[in-house]
Amino acid sequence: MTCLPRLAAALLCLLLAGAPIAAPFTPSSDSDVVERLPGGASDPAVRRVDSLRKQLAARPGDGTLRLEIARRYFELAMAQGDPRFVGYASATLAPLMASADNNSGYWLLRGMIEQYSHDFPAAVASLDRASKIDPDNAEPLAWRSAIDMVQARYPEAMAECKRLAAMVQPLFGAGCTAYVEATTGQLLPAYQHLTQALAATAKAEPELRVWALTRLADMAQRLQRPEQAEAHFREAMRLGINDQYLLGAYSDFLLDSGRPAEVEKLLAQWERSDVLLLRLALAGAALKDAPAAGWANQLRDRFQAAGLRGDRLHEQEAARFELDVEGRPKEALALAVRNYAVQKEPRDAEVLLRTALAAGDAKAAQPALDWLRSSHYEDPRMARLAEQLAALGARR
Amino acid sequence: MRRWIASLIALLLASAAWAHKPSDSYLTLRAEAGKGDLTARWDIALRDLDYVLQLDRDSNGELTWGEVRQRTEDITRFATRNLQLRTGDKACPWETAAPLQLDHHSDGTYAVLSLIARCPGLDAGLKLRYSLFFDVDPSHRGLVQWVAPGGVAAQALVFGTESAEQTLALQSSGAWPTLRQYLVDGVWHIWIGYDHILFLLSLLLPAVLVRRRGKWEGAPGLGGAVKEVLKVVTAFTLAHSITLTLAALQIISLPSRLVESAIALSVIFAALNNLRGMQWRPVATPSGDSPPEGASQSWGGPATDLVKSRRWVMAFAFGLIHGFGFASVLADLGLPQNALVLALVGFNGGVEVGQLAIVAVFLPVAFLLRKTLFYQRGVLQAGSLIVAAIATWWFIQRAFDIQGGPF
Repeated sequence: MTCLPRLAAALLCLLLAGAPIAAPFTPSSDSDVVERLPGGASDPAVRRVDSLRKQLAARPGDGTLRLEIARRYFELAMAQGDPRFVGYASATLAPLMASADNNSGYWLLRGMIEQYSHDFPAAVASLDRASKIDPDNAEPLAWRSAIDMVQARYPEAMAECKRLAAMVQPLFGAGCTAYVEATTGQLLPAYQHLTQALAATAKAEPELRVWALTRLADMAQRLQRPEQAEAHFREAMRLGINDQYLLGAYSDFLLDSGRPAEVEKLLAQWERSDVLLLRLALAGAALKDAPAAGWANQLRDRFQAAGLRGDRLHEQEAARFELDVEGRPKEALALAVRNYAVQKEPRDAEVLLRTALAAGDAKAAQPALDWLRSSHYEDPRMARLAEQLAALGARR
Repeated sequence: MRRWIASLIALLLASAAWAHKPSDSYLTLRAEAGKGDLTARWDIALRDLDYVLQLDRDSNGELTWGEVRQRTEDITRFATRNLQLRTGDKACPWETAAPLQLDHHSDGTYAVLSLIARCPGLDAGLKLRYSLFFDVDPSHRGLVQWVAPGGVAAQALVFGTESAEQTLALQSSGAWPTLRQYLVDGVWHIWIGYDHILFLLSLLLPAVLVRRRGKWEGAPGLGGAVKEVLKVVTAFTLAHSITLTLAALQIISLPSRLVESAIALSVIFAALNNLRGMQWRPVATPSGDSPPEGASQSWGGPATDLVKSRRWVMAFAFGLIHGFGFASVLADLGLPQNALVLALVGFNGGVEVGQLAIVAVFLPVAFLLRKTLFYQRGVLQAGSLIVAAIATWWFIQRAFDIQGGPF
């Protein structure tokens, strides 16, 4: 293709295929910077774990050190949303398997890694084992309750929250129970409990406050109090914690309120995150502006890349992308159905309801409708979706 | 306490969606027909290599080309040790085929290794064992594109900890994938081949017009315009099919510089032809103002001049040249000797399909606009001038082998 005008060809490739087919290159100078490593030189957490790794190389038999490193890698993964760190954690942990019978730390971390890859039954088994070895440790319990919530086992989750409440600081316990209550027909009391708990906790860590405020905002939205929801979001933003979940929830709120321009401003620096890139693409689609196509293309590439390796971790986002950006309800529904087989949080149910409605396939939404009925989950928007689906012939 | 936060966030995010792509490498492995040689292009993330080999010597969090380049040997040794190719019980050793390069992927910069493996023959079957990074990151995957001997379409294989060793199928892909692959390549080539598109469009622009008394007027009916378009497209197709086939079968071959320059020339001619006999006075009969019935010569009748009726001749003559251009693309793609006809038919068919798609968009639009001043002056005359100018630049560039430039 040497005969082609290169700039124009690249543009057209971009148009037709989403991304130009790149050719390998040789940098012109040895001093060219070709890659910036994660965390760079500045991230103390990355540097710390690097130095621990060097120590481990000298003492490979040190199980405590090994566990510490694995744990730090997992925390890096949580903080940065980088799955490579989960892989490193997993590989670092593996040699402990042989001598792990009475090591609660090993089983806890193993359970956390297993839940990351959506292997929930294995994760529950590992976490239970950790609890058995060390009954006073609240952490395996907290993770179990998280898994029970994801899988919509509310009585179990509530029992774990109650046990947890005795072991941890009050705001944590209140958050755990409020989350379950708000999902099981006691939205208003849950909102009040959590508001009180937050007001009573003067010295909570900012991360914990951000989490509680994000939850409160979600509940306020479902109580149809958008001004309060916005106030919670703004207060959480003021705490200055880079929390992807907060940014995602706030963006969804703005999108629902018909304010896509503010989403583009809010997420200007967050293209790297898949979850937030989806919100950018949705905002761009609503505004029909110049960067919209670029975001959609990037996201399409990332979903394709995940598909190539057979990953199934992004299906809720993929379903929303297919429905709201690509306008392909059938494909969106297939993804939402598969997602709901594994993950059953309210968001997952909502995506299933929306895609089923758009695809005109009321039957496919049945599991989510059943959940909505049996859980007594309160959300006017989902109730409306359920009504529309019932009109299409679904059982309420 | 921090650890509590992690659990809590988990409570929220459950199994979060992740901000980054997991670790993958991309390996394209191609068997050369009949020799037992396999060529490989292997893209491995610098970030992953750094994790194992500590490329960042000064630990400043940035990798320079020097830091990577000086470790070429270590990188190659480490990589090839984790990619074992065997036929029967014999290993096929890797050799370096070209110096280490870099490439950008969506999640960062990758080292590009060009390798060649020499197997003592492939009769005993072929097995690939992939183990790169599995010991440090079990979530790593090797995404392999495998092209069997004589094959065209690649087979996608995913290597993971649970699927580290796989057999590489030696049968090339069946007839249909081959045909489809070349069909797609053909469509693709005409769409990104601006010189071909501009040539065709230059010939088609006047098809919705008639020349009467030395000036252009909108053609009265769609039928005539379609007929004119068909003549041009058929002539072009016929001509380039002939030369494409002759060149692909290596019956005739022409130096590519000559061909490419001649293609540029053909575009110049086609565009300038639209400007011949141009009169710079206002174009009469705007839309709706058709000439009186009695004076009207039927479209294509004797009063129209010869330029139009010769356009299909021009399409044929220059189409012969364009066929050589297509042939060189086809040669670049690699022609499977066992499926030569299939590839040829597929590629040619693809070119036609791509062409028809362009015509299908062009014709209705042009027909609707044909009576407007915008079309007759703006599109036909100014457009042809611009095309001629671009093509002249291409001609200079190709004939005198000049790199770069605005197009």
